[in-house]
Order: sequence, then structure tokens, then C-alpha cells
Amino acid sequence: MNLRRLVGVIVLTIGAFLTPNFLLAQTGVSYEDILQGLSDPTRWLTYSGDYSSQRHSPLTQITPDNVKRLVPTWTFQTGTTTRGRGFETSPLVDDGVLYVTGSNNYAWAIDAATGRSFWQYRRNLPNDLTYGSSAPVNRGFGMLGDRLFMVTLDAHLLSLDSKTGNVLWDIELADYRVGYAATLAPLVIDGKVIVGISGGDYATRGFIDAYNPETGERIWRFNTIPGPGEPGSETWPDDPDILARGGGGTWMNGSYDPELDLIYWGVGNPNPDYYGDDRPGDNLYSNSIVALDAQTGSLRWHYQFTPHDLNDWDSNQIPVLADIDWRGEPRKVVMLANRNGFFYVMDRATGELLLGKPFTATTWARELDENDRPIVLNDGSQGCVPDPWGSTNFMPPSFYQELGLFILTARETCSTYVPEEPQFTLGQPSFGGVVFTDRDNQYGALRALDVQTGDLVWEFRYPSPTFGGVLTTASGLVFAGDHEGNFMAFDAANGENLWHYQTGSRIWGAAAMTHELDGRQHVLIAAGTTLTAFALIED
Amino acid sequence: MRKYNKLLQKASIKLSLMVLGIVAGSSVNQTSMAQIVNPYESNASAIRAGGVLFRARCATCHGADAKGIEAPDLTLLWALNVTNDALVFQTIREGVSGSIMPSTSAPDTEIWTIVAYLKSISTVAVSDNASGDSVRGQQLFESNCSSCHRVNGKGGSLGPDLSRIGAIRDRGMLTTSVRTPSASIGSSYRPVTLIDGSGQRIIGLKKSEDAFSIQVMDSSQRLRAFNKQDLQQLSEESISLMPEWGPEEISDRDLDDLLRYLGTLRGANSD
Repeated sequence: MNLRRLVGVIVLTIGAFLTPNFLLAQTGVSYEDILQGLSDPTRWLTYSGDYSSQRHSPLTQITPDNVKRLVPTWTFQTGTTTRGRGFETSPLVDDGVLYVTGSNNYAWAIDAATGRSFWQYRRNLPNDLTYGSSAPVNRGFGMLGDRLFMVTLDAHLLSLDSKTGNVLWDIELADYRVGYAATLAPLVIDGKVIVGISGGDYATRGFIDAYNPETGERIWRFNTIPGPGEPGSETWPDDPDILARGGGGTWMNGSYDPELDLIYWGVGNPNPDYYGDDRPGDNLYSNSIVALDAQTGSLRWHYQFTPHDLNDWDSNQIPVLADIDWRGEPRKVVMLANRNGFFYVMDRATGELLLGKPFTATTWARELDENDRPIVLNDGSQGCVPDPWGSTNFMPPSFYQELGLFILTARETCSTYVPEEPQFTLGQPSFGGVVFTDRDNQYGALRALDVQTGDLVWEFRYPSPTFGGVLTTASGLVFAGDHEGNFMAFDAANGENLWHYQTGSRIWGAAAMTHELDGRQHVLIAAGTTLTAFALIED
Repeated sequence: MRKYNKLLQKASIKLSLMVLGIVAGSSVNQTSMAQIVNPYESNASAIRAGGVLFRARCATCHGADAKGIEAPDLTLLWALNVTNDALVFQTIREGVSGSIMPSTSAPDTEIWTIVAYLKSISTVAVSDNASGDSVRGQQLFESNCSSCHRVNGKGGSLGPDLSRIGAIRDRGMLTTSVRTPSASIGSSYRPVTLIDGSGQRIIGLKKSEDAFSIQVMDSSQRLRAFNKQDLQQLSEESISLMPEWGPEEISDRDLDDLLRYLGTLRGANSD
């Protein structure tokens, strides 16, 4: 022992540790805390900040007037790269500690003030991952009590001790070798952890599951592709084999209405993606939003955005819930901007469609018929419809209620689809064709839509199609990022760009989150291998 | 040496075949890989050579003692019973995709000496013939230890999770940990005493530190961080937060029961 340490030594008796304070382990985050959403702005306890998924913070310290003084306060380096994709996480924060998942199933607890980590977790992944090797991403934790919940690229659901990162339980969602993986941030509600599954480009069958947070036992499962004879099976050929590999992934987060006790979740493409000859029919519940009873997982209502999809236009976009005045009467709505290029508003209690209108120049369809079905003009075989990544995608949008604006990242692209009968090989994707994209004829844009009409109110154009998500704050700001790596702030009223910071890597899949720490508002964005925190420069 | 080279050649061919097998996704081949023998197994001079190579090439991330800094603790590889010589060889050869662990084109001989070295310092399992009453040991554990130590999801987080301690620490090491815990303190459990700006004294475990800040788990098991300039005092302690359980606190017989119980903790490796 050196002299400095010797001087520092204080003899600690057993008695000093046996105080009640010492024995009292913190119980952490409760369901009621999550229910409160962002009303306590020091917290961000679920993927989008609250169950509504509006990703709209009440914080107002950073304003259109002072945002030019926004500077990075720290950068966290993950040490893990995401081949071909992005660092897609939304950090959670509680009691000054950020809980962050990374690519390749890394995870950390990070001090929100300094960016230094308390612990790191890394899953020892098998070397024969299927979908998980092509998209080695993760979008975040769910949390309850002193437990964190995280899904993995080998299609497991883990519970970690939030204090140490130790695994508390580990259960298999599905066999990854078939083509399954999991990448979303679990949705934690009262007594349940809700997750979905990736792998719809393979011969798989999607589902939404609820698990017991304490034990990891499964409470219910909703299969997104019906079994033989079940409701919805009439929209498929009468062939159990086709149903069993019908796709319908559920790989992005859903939202929750605690009063109606309904979960809203998007469902992905039917499989094969581009080849539909062996699956005539609408192919429910692919490319739909489903409203599920949170207690039982039973289907309350659904709406299919893209019947008999031939373009890989998964409907795994964030469903955004709001209570708004709809043309003179109060309505509980769910809004969703879809990969097919339409923006939809639905009554979330009944599923009644209130609005469906294009927000890009898609030539697939321009209007819906009297039965709320799209009038398809071009299925993609005649050129120039949105590419398979779609007119928007899983990058979270934001709803700014006071302005009545739905703000999203739009992608204007031009692709031709050439379907081809696929071979089904275990663990290999079955897209069923190829796609030709005109790279000289595409761009991205941040767009603000009037939710009453779907009309474009303003836009800010990006050089290329972009996967960055959106955050808004009650001070009138929009935070978004682009494919060229700029993290930006805009005036929510008119889309004027007010500030930008070059992160050095495209912002892909991630949206910013914000929280207050010691009286100072911070905004965080993940990009490349870094998570960076920003705050107003102190005098 | 010729003998070793021959063996090595044989092992390499076998390994290549097995690697192909694993890529094909058969679990049978995992078992077959376990049968590949390191040509330098227990060879003292090869182990020394492997140690030199390890310290030069691996210690930056894995630590000079292989117990892990930024990268995992390698002394637990064999004890956890999830690996074997060939898999360790393969991991060194190919690296870990998506992490900073690189692949290497080093000759097979060098890799095998590193494998031999790592195996030589690998922690061994508790012997199965331990005496003591594990049921009583569990009761002792739950009333004295579980406020700080977690087992299978139950207990505190101040001390290490002991769910599989029986697989990674032998009886002698566990006895030392109970009787004289300060003799060896893990890198994430170094005790610190802080006095903040308001004069409040905080006792905790250092989890991370840079020139300006320190991150700790305090004694109420809360993760907290402090700016060093705001602290009146920051002292690193050499006495573990784990109390010393001498013969007066826990008799030899009780200790025997406790160790028997700890030896049974070999929880499924899930990470």
C-alpha cells in the first residue's frame, strides 16, 4: 500500500454498513412512473419518452433564440460498429444514469453528466446469426424496477440488473437459425414486457408477445399470420405451409393506451417480399396496424395499409397516439406515416379510418376508395414507386400537438420491382425478386404535415434519402438528423434551420431524446459509433 | 519439437474441418471441437512464451492479469464450461465480429502458446467433495450476504453476483474472500470515500473515473457521479466494503456450510 492510499484509509467497521440505508436496495422505476411519461423531465423511461410515442418533450430551456449556443458536452464511444446500418438506440434515463443499448448487443449504464460508463454488457452471440447478422442493431431498453429488458440478435429477451448489467433471466423468443432476430426496444406496461420479432424477409411467422417482468414467463402471444381456419386465413391460400412462413414481422416498437388498455403495433411484409403469385389475397395481418387487448393479446381491430404487398413495405412505423380535436369533436386518434407513402389518422378506439393521404410523390396510389382501400395505379413493375426502404420507415416521427403538426422524415425514391419465384432455404432470406433503384433521382426531407388534412405545411430538404428520426420540444424546436451526418435543430413553426452539428456518421434509425440534469437541458443523439450529449454553453 | 509440429499440423487440419462444420450450423461439431488437443497443453516453456505474447498483444484490453479491463475476464473461460481450446484458438484467429477484438494472421504455434498460457491461469472449479450442509449454508447466505450479493436474480448489487461463483472460484479463494475480503478486491469493487460540497460523506465502489469526474455505486446501491472539483475529499480505500467475517462472526462450521452452498452455485451461463 502506498503512502497516499494509507493516508486515505478509513477503517470501516461492519456496523457502518449494517445501517438501514445500506440494506435498502432501491426499487427503481415503477409502472406509475412510466405512466407519468415526460411530466418529470429528468426521466425518459420508455423508447419514445412516453406511451403515446409523440416524442415531444415539455422542456423549454433550449429555444429557437438560444439554440445556436448548443454545444457538445461529451461523446461516448461504443467501440462497436454496425456494418451496413446505424447506431439506432434511444437511451433511457433515470436518476442521472443513461441506459443505452448498442449494436451487436452491447449495452451500457452511462453517467449522464460526464458520459463515463458504470458498466458494460456484451452478449456472446453465435457466429451463425441469420437476419441478425445483416442488421446487427438494437433500439433500446425497456425498464421496470431495477430491471432492464433487452432483445437480442439471436432472438432472445434478456432481463439485466440495472445496477450491474448482470443477466437476471434469458429466454428464447424464436429459433434464430430459421431467420428470426430481435432489435426493438421492449415496451413495458403494468406487469408485462411486450416485444415483437424480426425476420419477415425469411420464411418466418411474426408474433407479438407479453412476458412476466419478474420471471420471463410468457403470458400471451399474438400471431400476426393466422393459422388455418382462424380469422384472416381467408385472405391467404388454403395451405398451412404458406401460412407458416407468411412473414409479418413485428420488429419495431408499438404504443400503448392505458385507458383503453390497448397496444398498437405495426406488422411487416408478407413473405416472399416481392413475389405474390403463391399468396393470392390480402395476406392479413401483414402491412397492418393491430390493436391488441393488453391483458390477453386478442385482436380488437386492425387496418391494413397495403393489401397484398409486393414492395416490402412493412408497416413497422411508430403508431403515434393523441387526443385531438378532430374537425370539431374530440377524438382519440392513432397516426401513422407509412412506408407506402400515405399518412393515416384513425380513431384508436374503433379503428375507423379518418384520413389517408400521400405525403410523398408516390405513384403506387394517390387515393383510397370508399372502402378505405388504396386504388393501386402501379404495383412497382411499371417503374418508379418508393424503394423497399419506403417513403418513411422506422425512424421515429414526432407530433407537436399545439401546432397540430406531424413531423417526419420523408424519402423520395424511384424503384422498379422485378419479382421472381424464390427458393425457400432454412436460414436464408426469400425476397422473391430484385429491385432496381434510380440513384440519380432521389432525396430526403423533413416534412411537417397538418394532421387535419395531411397537407404539407413546410419541409427542409436533405441531399439524400434519410433514416434519421425526429424529436420536438415545447419551446418550438424540432431536432432531426440526416444521412450526411448532420444533427440539426429547426423552428417547428416554419422549418427554418437554426443549428447543425456534423457528427461524422450518418444518423440512421435513431431519434434524439432530451432530459433535464441538474437544471440543464441535454439533447442526445446516437450516430455511427458515438452517443453525443448537447447542452447550452455555460458562461 | 518435431513431435509438436506434427501434432500441431494434425490439430490444424482438424480445426479447419471443424470450423467449416460450425459454420454449417451443426451442434455436434461443437462437441467434436472439444476433442482437439492443444499441442502445447501444460508445456511449461510454451506457457511462458504464450504469456509473453499475451502481455505484448492482448493485455492492453484484457489486462496484464487477463482479468479484463475494457475486454472480458479471460481467467473464467474454461471454468464456465462453455468453451474449449479449439474455440479459444478460433476466437483469437478470427476475432469477434462487431467488437474491437481483431482477427490475427499470427502463426498457429503462437496462438496455441497463448491458449496454453490462458488455460494455465484459468480459474478452477470448486471441488465437489466439499464438506458442509448446503441447506444451512443457504440460510446463512440469505440472512448475512444477500443484501449485497445477488444469486439467481435475488439479492443486492453492491457485491459481485454469485449465481455461478461455484464454477469460477475454488474453496481456498472463497475462504479468503469471506475471512479477509480486502486481500483481493476486484477492479469494479474498489472502495472510495467522498465528501461532497455540502460536507456529506459518501462511501461507495468506484465504477469509472477520469481526470475530472468519478462514477460510483454508493452504499445504498445507487449509481452516482461526481465532479472532482466539487468534492472536499476523495479517498481510495484499501479495505473492502465487504465486512471481514472472522471466526467470531462466522464459525468454521458455518463457513463450511456456506462454502458448500456457494459451491452449488453454477447458474446457467447466459451471457
